[in-house]
Amino acid sequence: MNALNTARDAVTAVLLPAGAAFCLLGALGLLRFPDTGSRLHAAAKAQTLGLLLVLVGTAVQMPLRHAPVLLLVALFQLLTAPVTSQIIGRAAYRAQALDHRLLLRDELAERLEREGTPAYGQEREADEEDEGR
Amino acid sequence: MNGLERARRGVRHLPMIAWLWLLWILLWGSVDLEVLLGGLAVALALVAAFPLPPALPRAVPRPLRIGALLVHLLTDLVRSGATAAWQALRHGPRTSAAIVEVELRVDSDLLITAVAELTTMTPGTLVAEIDRRRRLLYVHTLPVHDERDIHHRKSEVQMVERRVARAIGHGESFEGFDGIDGPSSRRKGG
Repeated sequence: MNALNTARDAVTAVLLPAGAAFCLLGALGLLRFPDTGSRLHAAAKAQTLGLLLVLVGTAVQMPLRHAPVLLLVALFQLLTAPVTSQIIGRAAYRAQALDHRLLLRDELAERLEREGTPAYGQEREADEEDEGR
Repeated sequence: MNGLERARRGVRHLPMIAWLWLLWILLWGSVDLEVLLGGLAVALALVAAFPLPPALPRAVPRPLRIGALLVHLLTDLVRSGATAAWQALRHGPRTSAAIVEVELRVDSDLLITAVAELTTMTPGTLVAEIDRRRRLLYVHTLPVHDERDIHHRKSEVQMVERRVARAIGHGESFEGFDGIDGPSSRRKGG
């Protein structure tokens, strides 16, 4: 019984700080990354991993009948985080909030250009006009 | 005939009813008689009030491969969290990204959703746009330094797709899916 408690405490002692560290790194990524697209990577991944580690670290300390609820939180986080990040990424692309100079290649823009609806063309022309004046 | 049809439709909803019931019991955290009966009543009422269309007709879930998928998901999650964190620390504002087009072979709403979700959870990739009709994913990837990285990321997304299709794949649209050849060989014009 005692050994079990020690093991439990050890798991919590490792997981909670690790989870907190990933949340911190996610926040740092939000600060340091240059545009919406790359910030989403920090928010969607580092943050989710951090939350999951904190949840598991807490679950092992809980009485058995409450632990499954935490797992439900984890499950719904896993299901919803990609959906939100996809919606935000999509909106950011359409609002031209992605820093185009960062993109080594943009196959979505290539396709839009092929189909005659360039995502960036018009604005670029407008910029050039401004510079010309 | 009518009765048989209705019974079959009822059976189709059983997994959803069971899941809602389980959810209710877990949230209450007890197995009292009221909780059990109340949960069942709520689950039945919900399914009757908001019947969903079948998500994946002719689905063949394979428990072992779904398990493998979950294990992959967990390891991917750790790796991708670490990758993103490391990128933030090491490169920060000078990171470089790309948006790549990935062609999918799977052709059902559920499978494409699953592939998109899991792709976001694999290291370095994040789905930004889904073209359901043409089965294309536009994936924001990070970090990307050269063409080889782009190619590598594409094949990673296709690996995810293959894993999903093997876990809950169905019927004829996956013939030859176990083959090594890339999806480009099956490309449909326009």
